[in-house]
Amino acid sequence: MRILIVEDEPDLLASLAQALREEGYAVDTADNGDDGLFNAEGTDYDAIVLDVMLPGMDGWEILKRLRKAKKTPVLMLTARDQTCDRVKGLDTGADDYVVKPFDLEEVFARLRAIIRRSANKTTNVIEIGDVKVDTAARNVFLKEKLVELTAREYSLVEFMALHRGEVVTRTQLYEHLFDENESSLSNLLDVHVSNVRKKLGAEFIATRRGHGYCIEG
Amino acid sequence: MKLFKSIKWRLQIWYGLILVVVLAGFGFTSYQLERGRQFRRIDDELHQRLEVLKNALHRQQPRGPNGNRPFPGQSPRRQNLNEPPPGGPPPGQFPEEDPLGLGARPPGKFSLPEDAEHFFEASDPHEFYFSIMRDDKEIAKSMNQRLSMYVTSTYFGGPVNQLANLPGNTQRPQNVHSIENYREIYQHLPAGDFILVGCSVLPELNELQHTALNLTAVGGLILLVGLAGGAWLVSRSLKPISSISATAVKISAGDLSQRINVAEAESELGQLAAVLNSTFARLETAFAQQKQFASDAAHELRTPVSVMLTQTQTALNRERDAASYKLTVEACQRAAQRMRKLIESLLALARFDAGQEVLKRMPFDLFKTISDCAELVQPLAEERAVKVFIEAGPLEITGDPERLAQVVTNLLTNAIQYNQPEGEVRVKLESQNGLAVLTVTDTGQGIAAEDVPRVFGRFYRADQSRTGAGNTGLGLAISKAIVEAHGGTIEVASEENVKTTFTVRLPV
Repeated sequence: MRILIVEDEPDLLASLAQALREEGYAVDTADNGDDGLFNAEGTDYDAIVLDVMLPGMDGWEILKRLRKAKKTPVLMLTARDQTCDRVKGLDTGADDYVVKPFDLEEVFARLRAIIRRSANKTTNVIEIGDVKVDTAARNVFLKEKLVELTAREYSLVEFMALHRGEVVTRTQLYEHLFDENESSLSNLLDVHVSNVRKKLGAEFIATRRGHGYCIEG
Repeated sequence: MKLFKSIKWRLQIWYGLILVVVLAGFGFTSYQLERGRQFRRIDDELHQRLEVLKNALHRQQPRGPNGNRPFPGQSPRRQNLNEPPPGGPPPGQFPEEDPLGLGARPPGKFSLPEDAEHFFEASDPHEFYFSIMRDDKEIAKSMNQRLSMYVTSTYFGGPVNQLANLPGNTQRPQNVHSIENYREIYQHLPAGDFILVGCSVLPELNELQHTALNLTAVGGLILLVGLAGGAWLVSRSLKPISSISATAVKISAGDLSQRINVAEAESELGQLAAVLNSTFARLETAFAQQKQFASDAAHELRTPVSVMLTQTQTALNRERDAASYKLTVEACQRAAQRMRKLIESLLALARFDAGQEVLKRMPFDLFKTISDCAELVQPLAEERAVKVFIEAGPLEITGDPERLAQVVTNLLTNAIQYNQPEGEVRVKLESQNGLAVLTVTDTGQGIAAEDVPRVFGRFYRADQSRTGAGNTGLGLAISKAIVEAHGGTIEVASEENVKTTFTVRLPV
C-alpha cells in the first residue's frame, strides 16, 4: 500500500510518515500544494492524506484538480470542525476527513477504511481458500493459524487480496509497495513474493508470465 | 392585578373615565339648557294668560282705591316679573281707569272672555287652569275643577296668604313656582285680588325624559365608539412594544440576527426600536468577532497539538533508541513553544480588549529603542539578505518602552520576512506637529488592495497559511492595540510588488 502525505508542518509530516511506514505502508511526502498535486497526479497511490491549509495551492484546490484525473481515495486533515467545512470536503470529493488534533489510530483506521472501500470491499476480512486476511488487525491466517509476515510481505498479500481475480503487474506492485526512494531495488519484489509463497503455499500467488501476478479464486 | 399593571389597560381605563366625565357633563348641561328653555316657554305662556285674565278682571271687576290695602314690598320668589305687559295699564291706575266697573257687576262674578277661552281649552295637553280670588274668596276658576286643590294650597297654604293681606304698594311681583308636575304663576293685585294661572308640565317632562334618554343613548354610543377607537389607538401605538419584546425574547434566546420590524420610524417607539436595532447589530458583530476569534484561536492551537500527539504516539508505538526519542522531544518542544507564544499573544490581546493592560508611562528615547530592535532582527535580515537602513535621530517620547519595542520589532520582522531577497527596509523617525512619526518601508511583495483593511485583523496572514512556527498572525493586531493604548495611530499603505509602508504616529 502506497500513500502520499501532503502536509506543511514539518514535525507533523515527519511523524505521520514515520508512523505509517511502521504500519507497513510505502509513504511519499510533499510539504506544499504544488508538489502534492504533482505527486498525486503522477502516481497511483492507494490513498492520499491531504492537509487543507497549505502554502501555495490549498487542499481543496488539489482535491478539485486531482478528481478530474484520478479516483485515488483522499483523507482530508482539517483544523476546522465546522459542518460546512466537512460538507465542502465531502462534496469536493474527499472520501473522509480527520479533524486536528487527531489520534494516529484514528488516521490508521480511516485510511484502511477508504482503501477498502476503493477496492469495493465492505468487510475487514478477505477469505481466499484456506487463507484469511484481516485488514484491520493486519493479520493473515492459514487454516485458522496465524502466519508471521513482515510488514512488506503483509502489504503484498493485502494488495493482491484486494485485487483478487485481477492480474497485478510488477510495475503496479512496485508503485504500491515501495515509495519513491526505494523503487530501484528491482529484485526485492521477487524476494517478497517467494517468501509469501513459502509461508502461504506456492499456489497462493500465481505467476502470469509477461503480465504479472494473480490471486485466483 | 395584572390587568391594572398593563399600560394598555391603564390607558384604556383613564381614557374611558375621562370620556365618561366629559360626556356626562355635556349631557347634563344640554339637559339643563333644554329644561330651562322648556320652562321659559311655559312661563311665557302662563304669563300671557295671566295678563289676559288680569285685563279681563279689570274690565269686569274693577276695585276702588279704598280696596287698595297696603302691600309692602315682598321679596320676590323664584321669578319676578315686575314689569307690566306693554299693552296693559299699570296696576296702580286700575281704579281711575274704570271706576264704574265696581258697581256694574257684583263681586264674585267673573266670566272668562270669549276671546280668551281658547287659552284654557280642556283638550290642551297642558291643561291650563286659573283661579281668581278676591278678599280670600274664589270668584272664578277654570273648567279644570280637579286642579283647585293646587290653587287652594298655593293661596291658603302658606305665607302667600299673609303676604296677600299685607298693605302693599302698586308694584306686585308675579311669582312662579312648581308643584309636582304643575307650574303656576300668580300675582297679587293691588286691591286684594289674586290671580293664579297654572298648567301641567307633563308634556314637557315627558319630552325632557325623552331628551334625557336620547342624550344617554347618544352619549353611550359616543362612549362605545370612543372606547373602541381608544382601544385601537392604544393597541396600535403599543404594538411596537410587543414587537420589541418579542424580538428581545428571541435575542435573549440566542438568536442575535433578530431585528425589530420598524414600521413607524418617526414615532418615539420607532426611534427606540431603531436605537435598539443598532445596539443589537453592534452586539451581533461583537459576538461574531468574539466567536471568530475563539474559533481562530482554537484552530491555531490544533496544529501544535496535532504535532505533539502524532510525535508522541509514534514514538511510543515501539521501543526506540535515544536519538529517536530526542528528536521526538525536540519536536514536542517546538510545538509547545509555538503554543506558548500563541497563548501569550492571545492573553495580551484579551487584556488590551478588556482595558486591563497597564502601560508604563516614562520618558525614553525612541531612537535608541529602534536601534536596539534593529540589532535584534539583524540575524534574520542577514539570513534573508535584506538591508536595514535607519534614518533617525534621538527623539524622546513618553510611553512604555518594552511594549513600543515590541511594535518596532514586529514591524521590522514583517518588513524583512515579506521582503524579496536583496531587498531593503527603511526606518524613519521624525517629529511632526508634536507627534513622533515612525515609518517602516520595505521593498517586498506588498499587500493586495482588498487585504489592506484586514492587515491589522486577528489571524490575518499574508499567504493565508502557516509560514513557520514563529508567525501567529497576531503580531499586527497586538501592535495596533499597543499603539492605540498610547493614544497613537498605525496605518499601512502598499503598492503591490513594489513596497509597503507602515506609519506609526505617537504623541510625544
